[in-house]
Amino acid sequence: MASLRKILIANRGEIALRLLRACRELGISPVAVYSDADRGALHVQHADEAYRLGPAPSVDSYLRGDRILEIARQCGADAIHPGYGFLSENVEFAEACTAAGITFIGPPASAMRELGSKTRARAAADRAQMPRTPGSVRGLTSAEEALTLAKEIGYPVMLKAAAGGGGKGMRAIQRPEDLPSALISASDEAARAFGSGEVYLEKLIERPRHIEIQLLADQHGNVVYLGERECSVQRRHQKVIEEAPSAVVGPELRRRMGEAACRLAREAGYVNAGTVEFLVDEAQNFYFLEVNTRLQVEHAVTELVTGLDLVHLQIAVAEGKPLPFTQEQIVLRGHAVEVRVYAEDPDSAFLPSPGRITRLLRPGGPGIREDEGVYEGWEVPTEYDPMLSKLVAYAPDRATAIARLGCALDEYVIGGIRTNLKLLRRVLDDADFQAARIDTGYLDRLLAAPAPVRPDAATDTATDSASIAAMAAVMFAAPAAAPTTTRAQTPWQHEALRRGLRR
Amino acid sequence: MTPLAVEVEVDGTLRRLALERNEGGWVVHMDGRAIPVDMYEPMPGVLSLLMEGRSYRCVRTVMADEETIAVGPRQHRVAVSDPRSLRAQRKRPGAGNGVLQIKASMPGRVARVLVAPGDAVLAHQGVVVIEAMKMQNELKAARDGRIVELRVAAGDKVASGQVLAVLE
Repeated sequence: MASLRKILIANRGEIALRLLRACRELGISPVAVYSDADRGALHVQHADEAYRLGPAPSVDSYLRGDRILEIARQCGADAIHPGYGFLSENVEFAEACTAAGITFIGPPASAMRELGSKTRARAAADRAQMPRTPGSVRGLTSAEEALTLAKEIGYPVMLKAAAGGGGKGMRAIQRPEDLPSALISASDEAARAFGSGEVYLEKLIERPRHIEIQLLADQHGNVVYLGERECSVQRRHQKVIEEAPSAVVGPELRRRMGEAACRLAREAGYVNAGTVEFLVDEAQNFYFLEVNTRLQVEHAVTELVTGLDLVHLQIAVAEGKPLPFTQEQIVLRGHAVEVRVYAEDPDSAFLPSPGRITRLLRPGGPGIREDEGVYEGWEVPTEYDPMLSKLVAYAPDRATAIARLGCALDEYVIGGIRTNLKLLRRVLDDADFQAARIDTGYLDRLLAAPAPVRPDAATDTATDSASIAAMAAVMFAAPAAAPTTTRAQTPWQHEALRRGLRR
Repeated sequence: MTPLAVEVEVDGTLRRLALERNEGGWVVHMDGRAIPVDMYEPMPGVLSLLMEGRSYRCVRTVMADEETIAVGPRQHRVAVSDPRSLRAQRKRPGAGNGVLQIKASMPGRVARVLVAPGDAVLAHQGVVVIEAMKMQNELKAARDGRIVELRVAAGDKVASGQVLAVLE
């Protein structure tokens, strides 16, 4: 198969930029697409070519597979990289690409159909003899059916969107009376987010860890696993902190989970990068959860501990090249931790906080990687996922990686919108997190407790940070050497100006 | 010369301080102490303060009329005001009983309306579901009452702060 020369990136935000950079590194020309809300986005600024899709809502822009294919044809792109979310797990889109003679950088449509739907994937897992949670292997058709099934497997149960991801269309149900209304809202949310309202039900495993295996398969039947990621720090089933390797996975468990994942991939005829998610209970039993037939948000932690570039490898696989290594050659080295920086307000029920970023001071230092899609002056749109950036720290060991990430968060300033930076810092400081005593309910429990007061760095001096803030506020408020404004000034501002307070 | 006295509210607590210039830089009078401060502004909105053998980076951001100053990783809400407007604020009656407006806390789209005008609602009962950034958020009644006015319908686009319903 010929090398790819031009790739259309059918996505936005940090992942569009990350994919675009990978294309450039390989000498491939990247093409961006954008909605009206993203005309000023970084991925548009950095692309070789950029084309408008339509109005801001996803259904009118990034979900318009027909428009995207048309643009790809017109600009002469060989391939489309869908990133994550949007069209990345849309079988019809993958098929349409193939039909149009454009390479879809991802698994073949047949494998997506087999594994992308969670209900079908559960059936495939049974064939691959993987342990899975009890529950349905097809979509629910009525509240009565859901109630009967839930009674059979016993409460608490989970409702999940068959086409889902990122916690959308997902509900935990403790009592039968909550099930019917939860079914409607989950199905409604799923239909909106994924275009399919299919919802299924499974037994809720108590205090599970979320651990997933990164897979990579070429077109020649080679399948390898690139170790695991632990993503147990979640809120509302949305991953917040991810790391590789998991603190509780040893070589033996890694091998068993990895081989089970590879078995499933072979069974489904899987090609390209993919992830098999598991729940792991306290006794280290693992249960198949679902397959993500795409590049994951959290792929960076795997890249850091394996030394591989997953996007480069995805492109090589799409070009028909065999994997350049065998399972035995994959060595995990060091530890990587990633935090997702969201435009949301942890102090106000995590409401999204779109708006203009008026100040952005980024952290740096050894082992710090940031995959970002925003800049100072950028207006975070209301229409999309509120993730701003992924901040990742790599170090020889877990404790050092956490320390590095903590320092980076302390340096980070994002102004104009609310973010979860402070909450992320709180988690990194938490003794349970540091001891890796985490499960998927960990963050909710942490949030239910009052935030501990962080010791003031200046305890050995008499001046606390609130006093420093007071001084700074006065110094900032004093008019700078700016030309006189017509705005009415308070007497002390006049005085400050007269005395030349600012220099 | 007489120091310039200012009142600053930091995280809801009123602080009084005075600034004075001397040969080397500034002296801040605060809590009965006189603290020499070396101040430098590396870029607009950022101050570097050197005082008492320590270095502080202070970053100012403003969001929805609310001023925040980050001292290193610590965020503080600040309001510099002259005493007159401060007194005026204290006199203003609190948002007490009577009618209560339920406002959109963010821009988005109305996914569902869960009540009708005239409905009695309990505290924490869902009133309107707003969808923004792909997440649905239920806005709840802050207290028991009756819906006297419903200003939106499913499908409507709403702006941040827009009144969705009025509770009595």
